[in-house]
Amino acid sequence: MNHTPDTTTAGNGGNFDPRQAAALLGQTTQQARRQLAPSPPWLLATRAVAVLAALGAIWLSVRGQHPYRGPTAADTPILIAFIVLNFAATVAVRGRALAGVRGTTRLRPAEITILVVSWAAVPVLMWALAANGVSFAWYPTTVLIIPGLAYAAIMAARVSWRECGTGLAVAATGAVGAFAGPAGAWAVAGVGLFLVLLGTAAAITWQQRRSVVRS
Amino acid sequence: MTTDELDPLIHVPTRLKIVATLAALPDGDTLSFTRLQDMIGLTPGNLIIHLRKLEEADYISSEKTRNGTVSVTTVALTGHGRKALGAYTQALRDLLGGL
Repeated sequence: MNHTPDTTTAGNGGNFDPRQAAALLGQTTQQARRQLAPSPPWLLATRAVAVLAALGAIWLSVRGQHPYRGPTAADTPILIAFIVLNFAATVAVRGRALAGVRGTTRLRPAEITILVVSWAAVPVLMWALAANGVSFAWYPTTVLIIPGLAYAAIMAARVSWRECGTGLAVAATGAVGAFAGPAGAWAVAGVGLFLVLLGTAAAITWQQRRSVVRS
Repeated sequence: MTTDELDPLIHVPTRLKIVATLAALPDGDTLSFTRLQDMIGLTPGNLIIHLRKLEEADYISSEKTRNGTVSVTTVALTGHGRKALGAYTQALRDLLGGL
């Protein structure tokens, strides 16, 4: 941690050079943005690579199936490991970043409820689509549509347009997957989520690094 | 333009760090005293002195809440403080552009 000279007794800028002030302002702002980020770019980039690897591995195992039978028993541990690790890392990193923070940075109980309900609605939607003979009912990409739209709606209500865009991009990945066939949907989900997560990581990095003093 | 035109309340290294750190949070969000202290690396006594000066100028607001036997102090940048930091940043830009 950087320690600045104690100026308590002086109580004023004294010999505090404007160039030093600009450098300190930029450095402190960037540090604070990084430390308070609930979804840091490194986590998003790691998640992007992991989702591409996990869903890519499943796509490799199902792409030769004629007729399509779905992921094999060997694929299930990969998917479960990815979900568990992703959840644990998200909770740990978010908890550390938001320690001592109160307010809009944290999701409100009503918003958490909407997200939980949106995930709970996924099997209901898939079952309803299957009952009506819709071909993409059980595609992995169909899972993404409702939670993606719910997240986009929550972020639109918060006027957080970047995060709203992320939610819409996730939902769009789900929609595109409907046209990719049962095996191809795994590839669409993997590549789509990889691009969304990497794009989000890049956007956050740019926001955190953009200069404060130099406009 | 001269350095005299820089807000003297903000143009102090420690207070600049406090204000810049709080400005990284969205408008209205608060940060606990202990987290702020951890992020800035000051002793509690030193931090209190600077926070008091900023609060007297209405640049920050603080609130003390009780959670059972533990009391938690939270601080936030006020709208006035955010405007002051914006003006200070603009003044720095003008000053450095002219140097």
